[in-house]
Amino acid sequence: MSTQTRTGTQGWSLDEWFVVALARTVADGEVVFHGFASPCAQVAMHVARRTHAPGSMLVEGATYAVNPEPAFVPPTSNDLALHRDAVYRMRFEEFFDAACRGAVDRMFLSGGQIDAYGNTNVTAIGGMPLPKIKLGGGGGGANISATIGALTVWTTRHGSGRTLVEAVDFLTDLGHRTPAGTRAELGHTGGGPQWLVTELGVLDYTADGRARLVATFPDVTVAEVEKATGFALTVADEVGTVAEPTPAELAAVRAVDPLGVRRLEFGPADLARHFGPAA
Amino acid sequence: MTGFHLAADKRTTLEEAVAHVQDGATVALGGGLAARLPMALVRALVRQGTTGLRVVGSAHSIDVDLLVGAGAVAVCEESYVGFEQDLGLAPAFRRGAESGSLVVRESSCVTMLTQLRAAEMGVPFLPVRGLLGTDLPTLHPEWGTVTCPFTGQVLAAVPALAPDVALLHAPIGDAAGNLHLDQPYVLDERFAHASRVVVASVDRLVDTAEVVAAGVTVPAHVVTAVVEAPFGAHPTSCYPGYAYDRPHLAEYVKAAAAGGDAFEAYLDRYVRVDEQTYRDLTGAERLTAWSASDEQWQELFR
Repeated sequence: MSTQTRTGTQGWSLDEWFVVALARTVADGEVVFHGFASPCAQVAMHVARRTHAPGSMLVEGATYAVNPEPAFVPPTSNDLALHRDAVYRMRFEEFFDAACRGAVDRMFLSGGQIDAYGNTNVTAIGGMPLPKIKLGGGGGGANISATIGALTVWTTRHGSGRTLVEAVDFLTDLGHRTPAGTRAELGHTGGGPQWLVTELGVLDYTADGRARLVATFPDVTVAEVEKATGFALTVADEVGTVAEPTPAELAAVRAVDPLGVRRLEFGPADLARHFGPAA
Repeated sequence: MTGFHLAADKRTTLEEAVAHVQDGATVALGGGLAARLPMALVRALVRQGTTGLRVVGSAHSIDVDLLVGAGAVAVCEESYVGFEQDLGLAPAFRRGAESGSLVVRESSCVTMLTQLRAAEMGVPFLPVRGLLGTDLPTLHPEWGTVTCPFTGQVLAAVPALAPDVALLHAPIGDAAGNLHLDQPYVLDERFAHASRVVVASVDRLVDTAEVVAAGVTVPAHVVTAVVEAPFGAHPTSCYPGYAYDRPHLAEYVKAAAAGGDAFEAYLDRYVRVDEQTYRDLTGAERLTAWSASDEQWQELFR
């Protein structure tokens, strides 16, 4: 695994900026959680706590540790490196009970497919029972995507044109509206997707629950985002540029993730994207 | 669920331990992702030639994939099987699902937890949050809905699940089967209480006093058999003893992705051998170096 980012001291890479954009979706004072197989979200939660959201409570992915100070982020989510020095580790039951009763404010979710309402598929491309590609599976998402306060959805594969789709082949985790009804109609207590962060830009959700483009990275046009999106994209009246990372944010990314585990989520072309004065 | 297991000495061999697993049994696998998976027991199951298993659990990796690749599994009922971003999708699991030779009734963590709790509580079902509106219920005709008699809310309802056998691995345990685990326990405690038979391997068999001093996570009275298997979770981690063996997992994934002769060669080399030979071949001992320094720990992941 590469231990180096390709940035000089003045610049930053897309993977770093992406993690910062994810981190900014955490509000100070929130209780936040990520699932396994989520390096970018994992790093982002620590960056948030070390920068603008010091009062947030972080529950570490597959270890359920509260506010740990990882030695480094390893490439597997259930590892002592992630929860060393935590004062407290929730039990599996304790975390999921809290999430089900509404005590957790935010969760990060990704997916092989994501639709306009933020429903995600982490089960199977081509659907079940005979998938074209069997993905790993959704962990606890099918339960707690229904109950957690707000969701930050992310993907690093928007540009593939195959990730943001009109309809998911299999609905693993809940967005704002499913073919069976809205969250309210289904009796679900959580607020659903609030942000969708991709390697092309940042989207929020409209009152009717559809993703809306609000900002792009500076090397990406709105037309490119529309072309990569498989559903009719709602675009904000004014689309901005994702705010540049601050030195403190970049320093936090680099300190939390010295092995560059976040980079495992990106393709080669995106890993080569570089910004800032040294570009 | 049957009664407690009161024998004072439950020590046995790997071969006798896995003889508790009959063809077609529902088997719960302890640990999670690539940590504390009961791999010595899994390897022994493969050697035993077990078939037709229904494996249940939360998020798993090489344990399930190896059993699927070896032809031991008919039905998978986990919330995740894979090697995360590091090594990607689970090759044998994928091949089985995509060819139709393996039935995947994907579950979710809270659902599995709720089903185990129902078994522990002696009730036939429990309600659970979420699921409604997702496609997971299409894989589970046994799930349903229930209307709360007090509020009228409609919730998903899932039946009790009492695995026939739970296979657990712990860093230490005593002859009676008292086990100490480091956190996260994942579902191991729930499996231990909900399953009819609990078979445990331990890296070290120690005096009861040492387990008590460390803290008993799983008590002897729910454990049926215990076997000493040093590095018994390898190539997954079992802290405080040893870290994840990244090169070995990569070697496994490569062999499983190739399938056929390459997978058979993996089985011949690493599974159809005794555990001492396995430990020598894999050099598992080097993974204890994690505790020397943060630098050496990080090196294990490069």
